[in-house]
Amino acid sequence: MAPTLGNFALWLSLFFAIFQFFTSRKNNKLKFITVSVNGLLISSLISFFLLMYVHIVSDFSVLNVFQNSHTTKPLLYKISGVWGNHEGSMLLWILVLTIFNYFIFKLYNKKNSAFISKTLETQAFITTGFILFTILTSNPFERMIPAQENGLGFNPILQDPALAIHPPLLYIGYVGFSAAFSISIATLSVEDGEKIPWHIYMKPFVLAAWTFLSIGIALGALWAYYELGWGGWWFWDPVENASFMPWLLGTALLHSLIIVEKRKSLRAWVLLLSILAFLLSVIGTFLVRSGILTSVHTFALDPSRGIYILIFAALLGGYSLILFGVKSKRYFDNNYFTFFSKEGSILINNILMVVICSTVFLGTIYPLLIEALTNNKISVGEPYYNSTVIPIMIPAILVMGIGPILGWGKEDKSKTLKKIFPTILLTTIMTIFIFLIYQSYSVIGIAGIILAFWIISNNLLILIKKDKNCSMGMIIAHLGIGLVILGITSSSVWQEEKITKMKIDSETKIKKYNIVFEKINEIKESNYVALRGDFLVYDDKKNIITILKPENRFYLIKNNFTTEASIHTNLFRDLYIVLGEGNLNDGWIVRIYYNPLVIWIWIGSLIIFIGGIVSMNINLRKLKILY
Amino acid sequence: MKKQLLIIPSILFVLILSTFFYLLIIERNPSELPSNLLNKNVPNFKAESLLKNENFVSSKEFGNEIILVNFFATWCSPCRDEHVYIKRFANEKGIRVIGINYKDNSNNAIEWLKNLGNPYSDVPIDKDGRIAIDWGVYGIPETFIVKSKGIIKYRHVGPITKKIYKKINLLIREIEQ
Amino acid sequence: MTNKTFIIIISIFLIQFFLNSSYTVEPDEVLENQKQELRARDISKNVRCMICQNQSIDESNAPLAKDLRIIIRDKIKEGNNDKEIYKFLTDRYGDFILLKPPLKLSTLALWFLPFIFFIIGFFIVFVNNKKSKKI
Repeated sequence: MAPTLGNFALWLSLFFAIFQFFTSRKNNKLKFITVSVNGLLISSLISFFLLMYVHIVSDFSVLNVFQNSHTTKPLLYKISGVWGNHEGSMLLWILVLTIFNYFIFKLYNKKNSAFISKTLETQAFITTGFILFTILTSNPFERMIPAQENGLGFNPILQDPALAIHPPLLYIGYVGFSAAFSISIATLSVEDGEKIPWHIYMKPFVLAAWTFLSIGIALGALWAYYELGWGGWWFWDPVENASFMPWLLGTALLHSLIIVEKRKSLRAWVLLLSILAFLLSVIGTFLVRSGILTSVHTFALDPSRGIYILIFAALLGGYSLILFGVKSKRYFDNNYFTFFSKEGSILINNILMVVICSTVFLGTIYPLLIEALTNNKISVGEPYYNSTVIPIMIPAILVMGIGPILGWGKEDKSKTLKKIFPTILLTTIMTIFIFLIYQSYSVIGIAGIILAFWIISNNLLILIKKDKNCSMGMIIAHLGIGLVILGITSSSVWQEEKITKMKIDSETKIKKYNIVFEKINEIKESNYVALRGDFLVYDDKKNIITILKPENRFYLIKNNFTTEASIHTNLFRDLYIVLGEGNLNDGWIVRIYYNPLVIWIWIGSLIIFIGGIVSMNINLRKLKILY
Repeated sequence: MKKQLLIIPSILFVLILSTFFYLLIIERNPSELPSNLLNKNVPNFKAESLLKNENFVSSKEFGNEIILVNFFATWCSPCRDEHVYIKRFANEKGIRVIGINYKDNSNNAIEWLKNLGNPYSDVPIDKDGRIAIDWGVYGIPETFIVKSKGIIKYRHVGPITKKIYKKINLLIREIEQ
Repeated sequence: MTNKTFIIIISIFLIQFFLNSSYTVEPDEVLENQKQELRARDISKNVRCMICQNQSIDESNAPLAKDLRIIIRDKIKEGNNDKEIYKFLTDRYGDFILLKPPLKLSTLALWFLPFIFFIIGFFIVFVNNKKSKKI
């Protein structure tokens, strides 16, 4: 019953989406638009929760449940299992689209009716496209006849709380850019676009997208850090790049919107950026789901899906970019920028963000281009990105530190120098302090630490001075970025690694810690068995600090293994232990990492998220004044 | 800014999408790699033989006819699946097949060939996988077509299926001509 | 089942697992000469694990990755330089095995476009800005 209803609700949402497209296109009856927007939201809510329901009750007459679930799976992962697979994640994608659609509709009033209807029309087109895609190529309600006794289970490596909420956050990000896209299309299309405060409409959506994308990416990295078991968190995998590229453009977009607001400048640029940010989200989806490139996380290998998304992307991109080419003329301006000013620094950062994004895009698709043209295969991996992206990142971070201090328009250089003097002092002190502690010198390390403290101290000082010229959300988010840079630099430059074979009761040393392999335990859980090592960690004063318990798990249903790292965290370092191969006689291979300041990556990301939320609050208030 | 420049984003977009489209419609397996040894000489190696008492010396073996080189192991289940086709190459088509036994237990391998039938003219043993690395092997089973003068003409990664069997036969006929 | 037999049984399970995935660099691989070991690690980080996607052999768990790590160390001990080691690898596996694509005619765009993007970006802004100043 439930799967049939869910399927019906999905078709119903297709109907409402098409209905919304036509009623908002005509824009004659508000009643019709209201019905379609609400109908769309409710029907997609129903179909989403019905899919969740069939996952929770383990209804194995549904193919999607059979393929991805099992009765012994814990409830949390039955729920997250809904979006842990391609079909279900499309349903979540649609749900988020309709929620944003609803918020756009909330902006509707008499003065902007033509503009908002145009936005809703575009949004309805996008929604229709994705619902059709789901129904035609990846319907999660597809039945399985006859119904099975039990499911195939779920990849245990994905059974994890961080990964459970990672996709919804990312989708809010991707889909949030769809709202900016639609607003941009409307701005270009309607006759009196200049008179509409479209940038004020657009900003909360961009902020929401950017904020959630940031925290989503951070959670994915956190998961990789503790789950994949070798202390890394970012691999420059195409799937990661697919989320990183819209984030970069989103960052540029967010900052350009400030200039639009304060100086009525860069409007055409903002319109183009918001189109590109969403197109990149869609192309990212295409790259991940079409099977065109092999990647650790690729969802599905089905060319028909790829062709569908490609055609859809071509329609969206073709229409929007041509529209931009034809209609954007009136949004160009001839405002002059002094580079040594707030808007100057934003402009420079804009260029750098777009350059980085283009570089990442180039690296991601270059192997495909080469293959199409020459039939050769090449790899573009981490070393490429390290040597291209980081050099462009460094000036961007430098500018980011000074930007908030500068004023709008012309700035007196000597005055600025006075302003940044305390920061320079603080940065120097902190940098020396850090190097005294870690006593390791490398060019990248020095550069990274100086930049991190440059940002941190600049923003801390603004925070202390309570500078009215600076937005609170911005300062908090920038502070977060500074902390993230601190964490990334120190954990990658000063990481120490120890790989050794240990028997029970033997001990080893890393940094000032003594680690004793106390015993090995058996673990029997409902869905896995495991070996767990107990490692006592002593500091240099022979006090016991913690017992680390890394595991090797064997999942019976899916017949696969995972290693669970065990981590002891404090504000200064992580101790990270992984149990490897071994047996009672010869001992076990044990890998121990000493990762300095890693936790600041996660704290920083959280602070970025808080900054985004604060900023969203401020911008929503600005929006309310309009009504 | 010149108005014509505004069309650049759409052109770039079209170019990129057409590449994707091309790659989608051509029949391609994204995880298959072309061998770097194509049209080059087979690597020289010397190895113990599973079946004979004398060592296998590559320079003596390759030269006159078309030979298939098949990397296999008893622990690899796809190797078992493709064994039927390897036998058909040897028995029906009369092609010489050299089987390189990759990182395997020799007793198991002898047993395996006894049970399933031995299509190989010789089986050099690759105990530590170094021979495979010289051939650029990255996942067994892999099968190479070597033409006269010991030049590698084709490499297939993965088990030989009906489709691949036909393809290899066709290639061999082409090379013969 | 006693504790000990259980551990032995699971160990056997896990050995199967490690046959397919022994985790990254192992103690018996490590070279005694620290300088040489560091060199080996640096090279390994640039070499792709052929069967896992987008991972270097330094961080990969595949048996082939382990073999290659050992070969790299052997070659270092024999006194080969980095260039010779990379050549050994690309002769067998092609450029695909390098995570950092070598500079060639076909990768010119890959390596120089980021730089060109950078120039173009600033060029457009500066030119536009200069025009604006005149107005």
